[in-house]
Formats: sequence, C-alpha cells, structure tokens
Amino acid sequence: MKTFEHQLIICIVNEGFSDLVMDTAREVGARGGTVVSARGTANKEAEQLFRIDIQPQKEMVMIVVPTALRDDVLHALYKEVGLNTPGQGIAIAMPVDNVVGISDGKPNAEKSENDTDKK
Amino acid sequence: MVKSDVSDNLKEKAIAKKTAVRTSIKAEKRRVATSVKGVVKRSEKSANSKVHTGKLELLITIVNRKKADFYQDLLQGFEVNMQLACRARGTARAQTLALLGLEDSPKTAIFSIIREDKIPDALAALETKFQTIKDGGGVAYTVPLTSVIGVAIYGFLSNNDKTVKEDKQ
Repeated sequence: MKTFEHQLIICIVNEGFSDLVMDTAREVGARGGTVVSARGTANKEAEQLFRIDIQPQKEMVMIVVPTALRDDVLHALYKEVGLNTPGQGIAIAMPVDNVVGISDGKPNAEKSENDTDKK
Repeated sequence: MVKSDVSDNLKEKAIAKKTAVRTSIKAEKRRVATSVKGVVKRSEKSANSKVHTGKLELLITIVNRKKADFYQDLLQGFEVNMQLACRARGTARAQTLALLGLEDSPKTAIFSIIREDKIPDALAALETKFQTIKDGGGVAYTVPLTSVIGVAIYGFLSNNDKTVKEDKQ
C-alpha cells in the first residue's frame, strides 16, 4: 500500500476564527497555511434538530503537515475550534502525494529541538 | 436385388450425412477463426489507440495573487483543462507582517485537475518557477482522486478527445 509523507488538513470554521486555527496548529508543530473564504450550506432541519445555529460565512484553512503530525493537529483543532466551540470547526485530513515549495518537511517544533541538540 | 438397393441407399445417406457434418464443422471453424481475428484486431486497436485510462489528481497551487494568471497559463500547458482559482490569504501573523511593512498577504489557491502522468513535469516546472521568479514563490501539492463519473467528463478532465468521439458513437 502506498504511504504518504504529507497530509492536507482542511479546517472549516466560522468567519474570524482562522487565526485561532493557525495558532492552535502551530502550537503542535504545523508551519503555515492558507485561508480561503467560503459559504456554508447547512440543512435547516438538521440545524433545528441539533439545536445549533450555522453561520453561513466560513473560512477554510488548508494546512499541509507531515503525516506524523496529523493526529496531533486534528486533536488540537477538535479541542480548540471544534463544533462545541464558537468557531464551530470541522477538520478533515487527506493524503497528499507530491509536495513542492515547502523548504523541508520538518515542523517548527522539531526544527528547534534539533537546533538545540546541535548547540 | 431389393436388399442391395436398400444397402446402397443407406450407404448414400451415410455419405451425405458425413459430408454435411464435415461442411458444418468447416463453417464453424471458419466462424471461430474470424471472430478470434476480430477480437485480436480489436485488442490491438485499443492498445494502439491513445485512450488514456490513467488516474486523475487534484493539484492545489497556492501563489501570490499577482502571479495567479501566470501560473494558470503555465499549468494549462500540462493538458489541464479545468482550473478553479479562489481568492485566499496567507496565515502569517499580523505582527510579522507589520514588521515587514506589509498589510496583507493576498494569495490565490488554484485547484486544477491533472493527469497522473503529467504530474512530475508539472511539479518540476512549478518548482523551477517558484525559485526563479520574483515574488513567484508558492506551494503546490496533489491529492489523488478516487472516482470520476461520466466518460465525457473524464475525457474533458484528462484532455482526451478520443473518449468524447467514442461516446458519440
């Protein structure tokens, strides 16, 4: 079976929460991301059933992380910007098989650890 | 006399039967041979035809908004027929941007459907451009697609006009 070195994490949150998403992801080692404006299309009946109010204006944050970091980032996002928070975020991950433009695959946290080791 | 006539008739009948069986066997053999030839020809034809059956992938390219048109044109050269460009922004901290004298980092996320065999060349070209063009830096990655529905749509996405012609027949 093919193994993937990187994963793309897509986190869809209410407008204004993308900074919180990035801060949360950075804390566990992610490096950077891209924010795309989007519009949610929730089912009205489902909204009533689950008693949640869906704000249509959304932000979609796309973050590429090494596969080893995927679970940590997803857990952190679930905790900080999950559906039970004002951000009402949903995070998904998918494999990415060709990555270009990322200087090295190592996240910030890992990098700083290595740097201290060298010193 | 009568007995010999009857035996002659029987013999004739047996011979006629034998020849009939032989001709039917020959005809059957000919039919099988032609059908086999047809199958072989068809398989040869399909092997020679340029109908592509490879997989498609979603190529996501994130670049500065100013350079989006350039990269879209570049990707079109790799038989990419469908591209979707979305306005996006980077996630650099406001403090960092202020330090650099920047206000915002406007980006464009280009979503393109590309054939698997074109990916190495496309990514190599993108990497070169990312490194050589001023303000042309960016990130690109591909996500494999598992399914596409519709022959015409597959033909369009994989830039394969053969599939469209076959669909018309």
